[in-house]
Amino acid sequence: MLLSLAWRNIWRNKRRSLIIIAAIAVGLLCGLFTSAIMFGMGESLINSTIDRDLGHIQIHTKTFEDDKLLTDTIPSSIKILSEIKSQPNVTGASSRLIIEGMISSATSSGGVRVTGIQPQDEMKVTTVHNNIVAGKYFSDNIPNQILLGYKLAENLGLKEKSKVVLSFQGLDGSIIYGAFRVTGIFRTESTMFDRSTVFIKESDILSLLASQPIFHEIVVRLNSYQKVDSLYTNLTKSYDDLSVKSWKELAPELKLMDEMIGLQLSIFMGVILFALLFGITNTMLMSVLERVREFGVLMAIGMKRKKVFWMIILETITLAIVGGIVGMILAIITITYFGFAGINLSAFAAGLSEWGLGTILYPVLPVTFYLSITVMILLTAIFSAIYPAIKAIKLKPATAIRTF
Amino acid sequence: MSLIQINEVTKIYDGTAVPVKGLNEINLEIESGEFTAIVGPSGSGKTTLLNIVGGLDTPTSGSVVIDNVDLSTYKPDELVNFRLHHIGFVFQAYNLIPVFTAKENVEFIMLLQGLNKTDREKRAIELLEAVGLGDRVNNKPSELSGGQQQRIAVARALASKPSFVLADEPTANLDSATADSLLDLMENLNEDFNMTFVFSTHDQRVIDRAHRVITLHDGAVEKDELKIRLSKNN
Repeated sequence: MLLSLAWRNIWRNKRRSLIIIAAIAVGLLCGLFTSAIMFGMGESLINSTIDRDLGHIQIHTKTFEDDKLLTDTIPSSIKILSEIKSQPNVTGASSRLIIEGMISSATSSGGVRVTGIQPQDEMKVTTVHNNIVAGKYFSDNIPNQILLGYKLAENLGLKEKSKVVLSFQGLDGSIIYGAFRVTGIFRTESTMFDRSTVFIKESDILSLLASQPIFHEIVVRLNSYQKVDSLYTNLTKSYDDLSVKSWKELAPELKLMDEMIGLQLSIFMGVILFALLFGITNTMLMSVLERVREFGVLMAIGMKRKKVFWMIILETITLAIVGGIVGMILAIITITYFGFAGINLSAFAAGLSEWGLGTILYPVLPVTFYLSITVMILLTAIFSAIYPAIKAIKLKPATAIRTF
Repeated sequence: MSLIQINEVTKIYDGTAVPVKGLNEINLEIESGEFTAIVGPSGSGKTTLLNIVGGLDTPTSGSVVIDNVDLSTYKPDELVNFRLHHIGFVFQAYNLIPVFTAKENVEFIMLLQGLNKTDREKRAIELLEAVGLGDRVNNKPSELSGGQQQRIAVARALASKPSFVLADEPTANLDSATADSLLDLMENLNEDFNMTFVFSTHDQRVIDRAHRVITLHDGAVEKDELKIRLSKNN
């Protein structure tokens, strides 16, 4: 009955209640949609980094990351690769041979990271094959093919089928030269990546090195990033002599950014709700002042002050929840729509590319964020109601009854 | 032992520049089943006395004993509880909860008492039938006349099964016919159920029907007149 009373009380002054409900709803819609855009940008950056190069988990020797020595190869790598591929939730695993080298065209040269891959395996862990803007991905049976980024191609004046020379240090310390033909040019969201990375077939590098199969890196891709932690734990235990790292460790700046986005947006929503707090307090205060006589009567006939206090809190929570639900429904509809349709930011393509971001932004908001917003709304309602509720319970029934 | 004992009650309002004596050493006893009117000019202390008897205000000195319990021994929350179970209130401006129906208004006080829904509804309907509003249980106060609203207020006052009802100018906002009808109702409740009514009033119709008329002047009892027409239970 108290809940029913609270519900009916908020509709006593429909216009006033609707205005504050609209304020809460619009405030939440704007806040949540902005948050979804920020989360979408963060997720886009994380996903594009994972898709482009990182994968979900990488395995190296413990010293490779520091020195990047050619000889720092993963022992029994073929066996490990095979074991990882058989793990549940693993959609792909690819071995890589990584060498820091030089690339030279007829006109220019520059430093690059040469990544030797098995093309079919690599297609299962990264999306470079989907980002080819000229030429094509690796073809079978053709030796010495090279894929490079559009920015590098621009810098070196290269086109499809152009010839380049790669030079790098061999296993014995000698400099090895190899001639390659550009088979494809890719363009990812990251200009930096497109400027500094080339892909060639593992077999071609091994041939130049005159070596048996050796790998520096194993990249693992799972069907969901939520499964990363459990596989990461398993792999860490299984290969304790190797360095097993998840994307969060491989790209700590992304992890930090992910956490910072969550924190910043919580603060941002907190500021919006703090501003709404004053609006709700004002509405409830007006409502209390209009009902002074009624509160006097309620206390006179036997309603304890504690109950009057909670009745006002309940009214405020009801008001905030109605506004909150309307705001969240509107936000869910808006975010879902743009989550599928995307927001075209091609006008800012150049700037976004420098940050490794795509031009179509897909807003997304984690369910946990909605839950934390619900808690924040409830807290806002309670804080907003405290002053009006105290005002009501301080009334003296004998005086309040005679207030008109 | 009297139902209500008012012993040497003085009330001084000291919030103003010059303290005002609202009541001055009032001594009164009201028996169960009385139909008593407290009269007097404005400022004579009628409402102050009613507030103190109803536990809505406290005397500066003296004591009010109801059902052998000195109200001054109660803490504020206990006093609220005491009002809930022992005193029915009827106000001049009806003071019903506007968003509740007639039945819900009567039910609400029983909700505060902790009665279950079935008992609440049953008693609320019985009371509304008793005050002649059996066909208006689902109407909101705004859909009823002043007289009907005051009848609901009477039903609400009786819902908690109080020891007595305090009615502050209950007929002041009603026309003659409606006031008479309301007084008939109260008189019947007094006669049939021995319900004690204490009115503060200016209304001659109430004074005419009261069994006892206490006249206040400047916060003191000027006259305490026991009239001929007494409740048949007394």
